[in-house]
Amino acid sequence: MSDREIQDSVIRALADAPFRASPDWRGLALADPTRLERFARFLARHFYHERLVHFFKYSRALARVTGRRPDAVLPGFDALLPTVVLGSRETARAVAALAVRHVRPASAPQTIPYLADLLEYEEAMMIAEAGPRVWRDDAREVIARSREQFPPEKVEGTVLLDLAYDLPAVLPKLLQPWTEVPQASPQHGRLLIARSPHGRVTVARADAAVASVVELADGRKTLPELARETGLRSDDLEATLAGLADLGAVRFATGS
Amino acid sequence: MRSAELMVGAFYNPHLAAELVRAEGIDHLAMADPPAPHDPHWPAIKQRYTLLLHDYLGQLSEPLDERSIVRARSLAELYRTPWVAEHFQCLHTEDGRYNINYVFPPLYTEEFLQRFVTNANALQARLDQPLVMENIPGFFDVKASQLPEPVWLRRFFEGTGAGFLLDLPHIWLEAHYRAVKPAAWLAEFPLERVVELHVAGVVEDNDLQGPWIAPAAPSDEMLDFMALAVSRCPRAQAVTFDAFSPSLTPEVLLSSVERIRQSL
Repeated sequence: MSDREIQDSVIRALADAPFRASPDWRGLALADPTRLERFARFLARHFYHERLVHFFKYSRALARVTGRRPDAVLPGFDALLPTVVLGSRETARAVAALAVRHVRPASAPQTIPYLADLLEYEEAMMIAEAGPRVWRDDAREVIARSREQFPPEKVEGTVLLDLAYDLPAVLPKLLQPWTEVPQASPQHGRLLIARSPHGRVTVARADAAVASVVELADGRKTLPELARETGLRSDDLEATLAGLADLGAVRFATGS
Repeated sequence: MRSAELMVGAFYNPHLAAELVRAEGIDHLAMADPPAPHDPHWPAIKQRYTLLLHDYLGQLSEPLDERSIVRARSLAELYRTPWVAEHFQCLHTEDGRYNINYVFPPLYTEEFLQRFVTNANALQARLDQPLVMENIPGFFDVKASQLPEPVWLRRFFEGTGAGFLLDLPHIWLEAHYRAVKPAAWLAEFPLERVVELHVAGVVEDNDLQGPWIAPAAPSDEMLDFMALAVSRCPRAQAVTFDAFSPSLTPEVLLSSVERIRQSL
């Protein structure tokens, strides 16, 4: 085992609670288990507090009306600690659900009719950000080279969100000073939420063409098949796919 | 006597920008993040202050890729920083699968020393400013480490010529958890390499069941420790109040900088 592999084991033990409890880790006897457990719990609380503050900042801005701060759920976070894997989609889903369950019963449906949409949006953003990421650019070259050769597929974590209110219009207003709760007009729309391989989360309004490409890109359909099923011209399909690949919403499957 | 030669500053906290634009007695601001695209105070901040690049550039256990180097160069140019700071840290696995998203030291081994020296030298060759590296505290020892941290750091600086960004609360915390006197632990480090010092408070943490880093005002004990450290760092050029958090108030930032200045 190289020193780098040992360091990776320590990082994994700090990030991955089930691994930390496993005989594989304990057998290495690399660190005082009590000290390591304390530090891992500190890291977990820090990691998810930071994400709740960031991804639920809009419902946090509404806390003076709802009476519910989404980051206040962290005391209830302890029950999750034995299963937490920092950065995993499963843990992001569990922690985001804690926040949503905490804020959703807020007794303000008349003043904030779009609250359900907002919480769904914030939850989707936090889950989309999770998952392994590319820290160095070497792997990106493979992705770029493979673009022309392989069928496109939706990247895990990419979400199409159906909304009943025009959230994009109201979100910036929530972070400005306000006395009357900013309102969103009732307007059905779809948002695409995707994450780049480097971890940058992007939100874009999804028109019908974008939505159909995302829904149909399963890693098996070829470009001509996709063009036929979406009704897009070949040039338009390629431009749409290029845009979606840049956002991280689709990738080009290698078949491996 | 050193106070006349030293810059005293803080971190740029964007939520305190209006106060920082008007503040007196702050010589420099360290930049942990790039300015937001529509930060209305950024032009005045940039014009008024010496800015120190203190962003996450990458972990030097691996070579920085071209994208990270270009970003570092671009930020250094934007800030006109006198030096570029990074940390002795290794916080994500080599395959990127696990990331603790918090400063965490590498194993203090020959292999990691070689990695950091090689990769820091490669980074320095691409920068137009000197590189300074900040010490990171360990809450627990890893048995695979081979060298004491101060020895490992000394050899790193000898192998690279980089400067030392001495984080004093980090030294204080390590001394606390090793049950040794902070001054004695500090004396082990290569203080002749120090270019900048960080000072802040520590607070009790429930998970750790002991003190840890926090965006809090330094105690009188920490300020005395800082004065001692500065007296032993002949090449130090700046002392920075190391607090970067949305919870930081203008009162804590401004009074901490003032108390740091008075203690030098």
